[in-house]
Amino acid sequence: MSSNHEDIKREQIAETVDGWTHNGPFHRRPSFRILILVILFTAFGVWAAVFFTDKIMPSILSSQMKSVHDTIIFFTILAAPVAALVYAIAAYSIYKWGHGHGEQAPPDGPPMRENSLTTSIWLGASTILVVVVLVWGMTALSSENQGQLRPVTIDVYGQQWLWTFKYPGTGVESNQLVVPVGRQIRFVVTSYDVTHGFWPNSLGVQIDANPGFKTYITADPNATGQFAVRCSQLCGLYHAYMDANGKVVTPTQFSSWLVSHGASTTSANAYALGGK
Amino acid sequence: MSTTALLEDTKLGPKAGGLYRHQNFLTGILTGGVAMFLGWLVAHYTVQNNANWGSDMVVTVTMAAWVVGFMAGIGAFNAVFRWMVGHDQDHDDELYAAGVSQGWRRYFKFCTDHKVVGTQYLVLVMSLFAVGGTLAMIIRTQLISPNNHLISPQTYNAVISIHGMIMIIATIIMVSGPWANFILPIQLGAKDMAFPRLNALSLWLVVAAVPPILISLFIGGVDSGWTTYAPLSVQSPPGQDAFAITIITFVVSVTVAGINTITTTMTMRAKGMTMGRLPIFVWGSLVAAGLGLYAMPAFLAAQSMLLTDRVVGTSFFAPAQGGAGWLYENIFWIMGHPEVYVILIPGVAAAMDVASTFSRKPLFGYKIAVGAFFGLGALALMVWAHHMFTTGWAPNLADPWMLTTELISIPTGVFFLVIIGTLWRGSIWTRLPMYWVYLFLWNFIIGGVTGIYLSDVPADQYFHGNMFVTAHFHYTLLGGGMIGATAALCYWFPKMSGKMLNERIGKLAFWVIAIFFQVTYFGMFWEGFQGMPRRIAAYAPYFHSANLIATIGAYGLFLGWVILLYAIIHSWMNGKVAPSNPWQAKSLEWHISSPPPLENFLVDPIVTSDPYTFGEGEPMAPAKQPSPATVGSTEGGAH
Ligand code: HEM
Ligand SMILES: [Cu+2]
Ligand SMILES: [Cu+2]
Repeated sequence: MSSNHEDIKREQIAETVDGWTHNGPFHRRPSFRILILVILFTAFGVWAAVFFTDKIMPSILSSQMKSVHDTIIFFTILAAPVAALVYAIAAYSIYKWGHGHGEQAPPDGPPMRENSLTTSIWLGASTILVVVVLVWGMTALSSENQGQLRPVTIDVYGQQWLWTFKYPGTGVESNQLVVPVGRQIRFVVTSYDVTHGFWPNSLGVQIDANPGFKTYITADPNATGQFAVRCSQLCGLYHAYMDANGKVVTPTQFSSWLVSHGASTTSANAYALGGK
Repeated sequence: MSTTALLEDTKLGPKAGGLYRHQNFLTGILTGGVAMFLGWLVAHYTVQNNANWGSDMVVTVTMAAWVVGFMAGIGAFNAVFRWMVGHDQDHDDELYAAGVSQGWRRYFKFCTDHKVVGTQYLVLVMSLFAVGGTLAMIIRTQLISPNNHLISPQTYNAVISIHGMIMIIATIIMVSGPWANFILPIQLGAKDMAFPRLNALSLWLVVAAVPPILISLFIGGVDSGWTTYAPLSVQSPPGQDAFAITIITFVVSVTVAGINTITTTMTMRAKGMTMGRLPIFVWGSLVAAGLGLYAMPAFLAAQSMLLTDRVVGTSFFAPAQGGAGWLYENIFWIMGHPEVYVILIPGVAAAMDVASTFSRKPLFGYKIAVGAFFGLGALALMVWAHHMFTTGWAPNLADPWMLTTELISIPTGVFFLVIIGTLWRGSIWTRLPMYWVYLFLWNFIIGGVTGIYLSDVPADQYFHGNMFVTAHFHYTLLGGGMIGATAALCYWFPKMSGKMLNERIGKLAFWVIAIFFQVTYFGMFWEGFQGMPRRIAAYAPYFHSANLIATIGAYGLFLGWVILLYAIIHSWMNGKVAPSNPWQAKSLEWHISSPPPLENFLVDPIVTSDPYTFGEGEPMAPAKQPSPATVGSTEGGAH
């Protein structure tokens, strides 16, 4: 390469940097216009996340489900500006530097092969985002695992294509999942045949039911209401129909529900309200 | 003087090629059919006398016999056999095998010319997409209303499983098949791939692998999804045996192809084509091939073990006899996660090259892009259990899996940096290939961001096994990988076919695809948020509107692809003749005629720079041609 060539290159790069700062009126600068696009895109993304969690997802019946909602919104707030920046630059570049679709290629752009500042900022920002996201997830996970509430154990059995819930000590066995609010529910999950996925959706937890051994998951219901229990693991012919009804009730209601399903009053009370 | 004519007119001896002269696709099918029948006969009568072995044995033997018979019938073993008995192929035989003076017939033969193989792959991939797409339409039609009875639950399960697997097969080879075979050797300045016969072998193995999986639909199907989780898959109908034979055959194909791509890149580069000057597409293909070599054998292992569990009563995955479903899930995802990057990376790499050419700027951050490919490849080996967050397996490892998975966002983010850095202040030439790059950006961001929700264990406890996951991976695989592959298709179509792709129809297809894609998967995200599980044949009325949106979107999306297919076929037959360098691009394939002659270069090219010299005052870099006769016509190239 000739030195003349080097000069041209340097000029072009200088011009590139200029393109960003550009000494025109403020509102005509690329940086300003891109910023506007970023803000618009970000606002839309965050609005969508709030809309989906608030209006579309089943209601929050446990602290785990609350954390699902919060995570969606928080991650969107983190990710939307990055996505927005990419969209904004893509959109802006075609608006500003588009050369149509003629037969001949447009003149070459500046030979800008890299820019270590941009790259470092980009890598640094994505690393920070990863750390934030990771710490968020680890915190939520560890708080899930150490419930403050007194536990109630429920045994969950999956089989093709039906759920059975047993309330140990009461002799009650039902196809309906009823859990008391304000207690930590400890699900002990297994299967009689193939793998199923135990998913009480408004409780915001999920664990597979495996034949031959048990898996565990805890949920902390914090509001009363109805929810659906679904199978989340393809388990053969009638997988689609492997639903059950679930509800979160007060401990007293829970106790009387147990009694109405054949438990003795003492065992129901001991199980539903006990351990005081 | 056309260089094509030179070799095409070569007079071969009347016996050149030997048995090859009589073998083609049809003899392959016939031999395969006969072998299948014999296999069935033998297995059937053995099984009759052995109570332990049932129909699974019959199906397995029959399907395996088909694969071997087909490959023998098309001539895959000729050369090996001749070498074994001491009659090696002579030069005329090799030329015959490369398709010399056979015209269109070579496209139906075990042809060793990399450009023929590439073209065959393209047609194969498009056919697979057609089949998979039709199955998708059946799925979406079934889901048009909550309790539809279009197909039975059993058929439904079979259809979703086969749809998934055919699409995965097609996407794994959608770039590495057509473009890493057709374009990559030319970009290196090579005359062919390092192992031309293995190249033909890899192609025809995929062809052989297809019938069993289609037949599986008619012998009970597969009822456990493309993931075929055990123990359900241990008890599945015999369709599962045919499915396993397909996978085993396909894995051999991908492995052979991967070795070929890597060896070609390492050893066949022209003078001056240093690793630092490779087009980014070559790097992407290289990393994906390496990753495939790591990943795919695990699939072979998983399916072979499953097959022996079913056929001869081993119990790797049968819990009642001490096996474990978790073992299957682990082996599967040790394949499964790297595999998604095998699909993605070549498409991204092609999109980067397209971005550079149509921005008339060097690729921004070449080195960091290469680094990102390797980083992604390395991380891909360490994240498989994020597909198992909710299985209950190794809960203490949730944090480390979350870490590795979230780290993936860093190399993924680099892809975006490289592309927008390339667009920045470029001269954006809005021809059809560039459209797809924009769509890639749009979709792949959505795929990536939704991946981050899934990588968070607490959030995944809501989204796992739910339509949200389905929407996520369609945004990444179809919206990212396949749209990148479509950019590649529109970019290299003139080189491959010698015709220009009709851009008016192409752009119409683009808009239909771009819009209906969003509609379809927006519907699926909606379903996911509402809490609809994946893979269900019927659903609560509550999910109806979201499903309706997805189904309408899917019809539009299908239509879009049909329009694109029409543009391709129409242009291939009646398109405008393509000049050698319609995009005024700089990598080596644009220095030779469209389509390129047999053996590509008459005189080996010498490379003096990378293909990204836009704006650097070297109009036709990188190749300094030793003589004008080096390469095919260069008219239309200089500017
Ligand atoms: C930032 C990048 C990404 C992250 C963090 C991510 C994360 C995840 C996670 C955690 C899952 C499991 C979800 C579940 O089953 O509960 C998943 C599923 C999946 N992802 Fe991604 N992903 C990313 C990008 C990609 C890409 C690029 C592809 C393909 C090109 C891809 C393809 C898939 C597929 C096919 C599945 C579902 C497989 C199945 O269950 O059938 N993902 N992803
Ligand atoms: Cu199920
Ligand atoms: Cu994965």
